[in-house]
Amino acid sequence: MHKQWTIPFLLILCVFGLSGCTGAVDINDLAMVMAVGLDKGDTPGTVTVTAQIARPSDVVGQTGAPAAGTGEPIWTATATGRSIFEAIRNLGRYSSRRVYWGHNKVIVIGEDLARDEGINDVVDFFSRNHELRMRTWVVVTPDKASQIVATKTGLEVVPGNSIDKLFHFSDLVAEAPKIDLRTMQASYLSDGSEVVLPVVQTRLRGVSTDNPKEFGSTPQVELSGTAYFEKDKLKGTLNPDDTEGLMWFVDPPKTRVVVIPCSSSNPNQTATLEIRHYKFKVVPQYVQGRPAFRIQLNVECNLVELDCPTKQSHQQVMKALEASVEANLKKEISDAIEASKTNKVDFLGLGSRFQDRYPAEWQRIKSNWPELLSTAKVNIDVSAHIRSPVLLSTPTVPDSAGDR
Amino acid sequence: MTTKITTAMFMALVINLGFAKGIGLTQGIMARESENDIWIATILSVLQGAVLMLITVWVIRRRPDMTILEQFDAIVGKWIGKVMALLAFVFFLGAYIAILITFVYHFMDYFLPEFPVWMFVLAAVAIPVYAVFHGLEVTARIAVLGVFSIVALNLLIMVGSLKDVELDRLLPVFETGFWNTVATTRHYDTDWAMATMTAGMILPLVNDTKSWAKGAVGGVLYGGILVLLWPILECGVLSAPQTGHYIVACMQMARSAQVGLFLHRYEMIMIAFFGISLLVQLMLLIFCASLAGSHVMGMKDYRGVVIPVSLILGGSGYFVVLNHNRAMSLLTNNWPVIALPIAIGLPLLGWLLGLMFKKKLAAAA
Repeated sequence: MHKQWTIPFLLILCVFGLSGCTGAVDINDLAMVMAVGLDKGDTPGTVTVTAQIARPSDVVGQTGAPAAGTGEPIWTATATGRSIFEAIRNLGRYSSRRVYWGHNKVIVIGEDLARDEGINDVVDFFSRNHELRMRTWVVVTPDKASQIVATKTGLEVVPGNSIDKLFHFSDLVAEAPKIDLRTMQASYLSDGSEVVLPVVQTRLRGVSTDNPKEFGSTPQVELSGTAYFEKDKLKGTLNPDDTEGLMWFVDPPKTRVVVIPCSSSNPNQTATLEIRHYKFKVVPQYVQGRPAFRIQLNVECNLVELDCPTKQSHQQVMKALEASVEANLKKEISDAIEASKTNKVDFLGLGSRFQDRYPAEWQRIKSNWPELLSTAKVNIDVSAHIRSPVLLSTPTVPDSAGDR
Repeated sequence: MTTKITTAMFMALVINLGFAKGIGLTQGIMARESENDIWIATILSVLQGAVLMLITVWVIRRRPDMTILEQFDAIVGKWIGKVMALLAFVFFLGAYIAILITFVYHFMDYFLPEFPVWMFVLAAVAIPVYAVFHGLEVTARIAVLGVFSIVALNLLIMVGSLKDVELDRLLPVFETGFWNTVATTRHYDTDWAMATMTAGMILPLVNDTKSWAKGAVGGVLYGGILVLLWPILECGVLSAPQTGHYIVACMQMARSAQVGLFLHRYEMIMIAFFGISLLVQLMLLIFCASLAGSHVMGMKDYRGVVIPVSLILGGSGYFVVLNHNRAMSLLTNNWPVIALPIAIGLPLLGWLLGLMFKKKLAAAA
């Protein structure tokens, strides 16, 4: 009796399980978005979405069109709507395939949109989208986001991949924080820090293969600088120099370059040091009812370039340079803190650190935090050690060079 | 119901019961109440679960051949025993709905949004029913596989997330207050309640009486350690506000995980491991609900009520999961109020009555 029922039951079950087509989407029905740009629409209250969609048959090779392809590895489409979702749905008017977000690498937000409309709907929409990766990079641009999305940069065939790769190697210059959707959402939801996003913009830095003599004729996307927000609105931007100080707080790079003058007589002669290890610590304090911070930075670096011919030993040179490195790093941290204090925007996340250490006090002062931050006392203590001259035993000096 | 399972299998069942809902929906609910103290609330809750499990083992040990409901029958008579069985059935009905919410919202919201809800419910009813018809041993064997799946899932999430952990985000401790954190444990207690209530029903089917306590409490503690990884990662990687922002917090963790440059979005692999554990929960809850149902009906073989019981469970669950707000409100506000009095009250009452009517219980046939 038992077995008599089991087999028909299983067969009935198979009818549901093996129909196979519920919710199925074939890969050649998908328009894979590689980068998306969001700009303020021409009509008030609207947003323009520009989607860079990969053309898989043409992504394989850059030179010449494959047999069935057009030679263009991407197709860029734009649409406008009253909300991001509506604008994306409106892309369906032009797209012959269903827009798919699973491979999107970057969300580019136009400064106009970020400043005037804010980023609340950007955070909300993309964090609700189950297809999107939480590792998708988010950037702000002073240019049109649509322009960034359509610009080919570097060696990659697909522009979205180019920007993605810029982030992978951005540690080398450390001029922009690496912020993905997850990190942005965490800052956005936190009451102890404000959102910061990296800035990208087009620069005429490329050389066209069609016209190699005309240098700087091709726009390239540059990742440099930081945009900071107050609540959900863009408040301002930091230049690359100020960003170097901010990076210690929000996204410390694995390695950094510090360039300092090495000759008192000629400021154009420099020594270059590469920071290899560091310890960065922010110690919040609560002194007489006011927040204060002690910032400690210990760095170990290598001397990687010395432009000052000298007959001093490496040991003497390195010892002499340490003080300059300390002063340089202290200044960049101080500049970032001053920028935060002056603008009364806690883009360094000092409030969050204070909250961790003094939760009860934080509850009392958090409503007045921007004001308190602007008057908070901050002590910066930097200690630098130059460990290695890298490969060379003595500084490079021509025979004729005297002591300097 | 003559086939017995080993203590190791029982331990595997306990580990599975505390896991699937505990790492995601429960942590999200807890984060909304006690923010980054969810990992402390989880530890406290595991300890509470271990104590309750120990009490349950003591109760069943008095008559190792009887379930907790049969003990009530023997002590207070058939009719009050039926009321107790009805309460147990209500608990397993609620627990099944809670797990169905976990099952549907993981798979539908993140993987198959165009799939009709009824197909998820059908799968969550039909597959466990098939296993339940074959007895507890089938579920217990899958539970052992489920433990390996849980370990694999934890390893995968660790590999993809550890580099992003900021331990500072676990601070400050007790920001929302010590007692608030203790109160928050009620949500995870409902997950352990499934394990303790199930233990009250299936311990007589575990063959080595002497190792019951070790297996049961060990299951809670090992399961607790496996679950504890998640609130720590959720706070350390996502932050507490972000964890509380989502319905299914663990899926947010899963889709943020990345190994190196090339291996990301492997949540499909993780959900496969997760699904086995979830399936064990669904099987066990239908099994226990059927045992309670047969007790209410006065039937000796639970198999006679499996289909009607599963239809009640599946139908109620379907109604609840159709509306996300209704489901989450039920889980957050109503479920602890219903589950905990039953799950704590029944073993304590059993313990007290057993103490008062020791001879009557020993003499019962």
